[in-house]
Amino acid sequence: MSSKRLSLDGGFYVPAVLAIITLVYLVSAMQIGTPMKDGNMTPSFFPITAAVIMLIALVCAIVQEIRRARSIDTEKTGEAPGSEEGEKEGKNVAGISLGAICVALLTAGYLLAFDLIGYFVSTFLYVLLLMFQFGSFSVKSLPMKLIATFIVTGAGFLLFEVFFQVRLPTLWG
Amino acid sequence: MESLYGLLGGFSALANPETLLYMIGGFLIGTLFGAVPGLTSVLAIALLLPLTYSLDVTTALVACASIFMAGMCSGSITATTINIPGAPSSMMTALEGYPMQQRGEGAKALGHAALGSMIGGSVGALLLMVMSPLAADIALLIRTPGKFSLIAFALVVIIISQRGSITKGMIATLLGVMVATIGIDVVQPVARFTFGSSVLVQGIDMMPLIIGTFAISELLIQADSRSARTVDPSKLQAARVRRRDFIPPLSEVREIGILRYLKSALIGYSVGILPGAGGSMAAFVSYAESMRSSKHPERYGKGNPEGIASSECANNSMCGGAFVPMLTFGIPGDPTTAIVLGVLVINGLQPGPQFMTQQLDLIAPMFASLFVSALILVPLTLYLLGPYFLKIVSIRRDVLYSSIAVVALVGSYVATYSTFQMALALVFGVLAYFLRKQKYPTVCLLLGFVLGPSLEEYCRRALSINDGSPMVFLTSLDSLFFIVLTAVFFYFMVIRKPRENALNATSG
Repeated sequence: MSSKRLSLDGGFYVPAVLAIITLVYLVSAMQIGTPMKDGNMTPSFFPITAAVIMLIALVCAIVQEIRRARSIDTEKTGEAPGSEEGEKEGKNVAGISLGAICVALLTAGYLLAFDLIGYFVSTFLYVLLLMFQFGSFSVKSLPMKLIATFIVTGAGFLLFEVFFQVRLPTLWG
Repeated sequence: MESLYGLLGGFSALANPETLLYMIGGFLIGTLFGAVPGLTSVLAIALLLPLTYSLDVTTALVACASIFMAGMCSGSITATTINIPGAPSSMMTALEGYPMQQRGEGAKALGHAALGSMIGGSVGALLLMVMSPLAADIALLIRTPGKFSLIAFALVVIIISQRGSITKGMIATLLGVMVATIGIDVVQPVARFTFGSSVLVQGIDMMPLIIGTFAISELLIQADSRSARTVDPSKLQAARVRRRDFIPPLSEVREIGILRYLKSALIGYSVGILPGAGGSMAAFVSYAESMRSSKHPERYGKGNPEGIASSECANNSMCGGAFVPMLTFGIPGDPTTAIVLGVLVINGLQPGPQFMTQQLDLIAPMFASLFVSALILVPLTLYLLGPYFLKIVSIRRDVLYSSIAVVALVGSYVATYSTFQMALALVFGVLAYFLRKQKYPTVCLLLGFVLGPSLEEYCRRALSINDGSPMVFLTSLDSLFFIVLTAVFFYFMVIRKPRENALNATSG
């Protein structure tokens, strides 16, 4: 009997995580009350129905993905080690791109800083770090990036605070 | 007669310098976003959405319409010159435009694309003005059970039009429906899925979902790319174009024929009315029909202006058709009209059968903007900016994406002056990133979110006025019509088409 593990990727994990979320949603929907009362639908009917259909669709997606992974594994049997395509792709952690993780973390940090230290400082730092993420990191390009960062931050301020009169948070507001 | 005066009033509204400025500004932004590979006009309109809090509703709608039209035609720029469609709707244009570019006729190909866009966009806008009042009259005949079946039809068509990934389309749509159930119930004052949080009681706003799905997820996707510019500058050297070459020769326009232009516009408009179809399907259907009816089908794929004209004419005409279900039934069929619906909802307006007559003064300038954008701005932009297009679309990625991030995130803050909306935008952005990476259609997520509450409301209302009997959906004629229509679409798109494809594969 073979003990080989299937090489599952995001195609499996995305519907699997969605299935867990849907289960939590279904349990919460059931806690709202019975789906039908005196022949009429209650607020829980529609969410329960949506969750059940969603779970069926997710199971189908998961089964399709397992079948696909099995067929790929079968095709790979006999191939020389190290010939996997995955090695050609960019840097990633558990199948998630390092660049995307970086941008998501920077954005989360920006949201925390936005209220605390105000628009100007937080946006300046956020834009500067994004400039490095989306461009190259070199000392030579630093002055140009600083100027561009200042322009983007200033343009954002002009657009929202001056042009559309949105009151943005300030450091000493 | 009254509606004719109302529609003409829309054109006079464009004479207001501020409105005119927003229309031209919107068109230029739409051109840029449509032309730059990776950016879309949907993203441009999504970024505009937060700004509509500070804008007059008419001005916002005028800007949305010009962005929509510009985004649809500008995808042909990079499709023709460097064989990278700026927007998915320009894929068919690339098939003909790029071979022409290789023959040194790139400018002429762009001229044909602009002429097709101009005719298609104008015809689509005119049909929208003529047909919308009629569609509104028909919409008045549809009662509650029929409204439920109509929305169910729209959702089913949106799902089954996701060729090759119907399961994924269904999952994304249901996810949108589930997100929309958070907050107070649509019929009774009962809080659902708030998990004790007071901020969730009022439900999830459309804006963080749109910003997250279309802007933040794009940032995360683009974070993988290592190139410094949106378009490699080395590709631009061989793609120089001159202004005088943009005008297509009259002999070629005659050869294409006015009938082909009109037929393509009608195809595009009809496809636009269908939920979930969009510009790429309009262009594909029109291109296929043009090739089928052509005297020289063998020339297709080798740089034939007929192919460019038919696909560009159809995808721009689609813009007019897409507004019909949104304005008359409140059912958006594509992300752009869903965002326009968001603009209306933000301003306390709800589209429906009476909307066209009651709010024509607000809507007419948007129709006028679609028409003027197609008829005047498309050729004018090509003539004035054409020679510089390729320089414009080659933007430094670091500047472009950090600017988009600031506009998207600070824009999310505008609605409630709280970072909660910004955090929600990030959450939806991360979710949409994973969905997009696994080829789940995020458009379905948005449309499920928009249509879900109406689906639930009409279903429950129809059942409550009929003692809970589901037979009402079959005994009500309008409802039965949409159920049969759903079955017909399902048969042709899910059962018959794959069977034909399989037969063709075996015989081939």
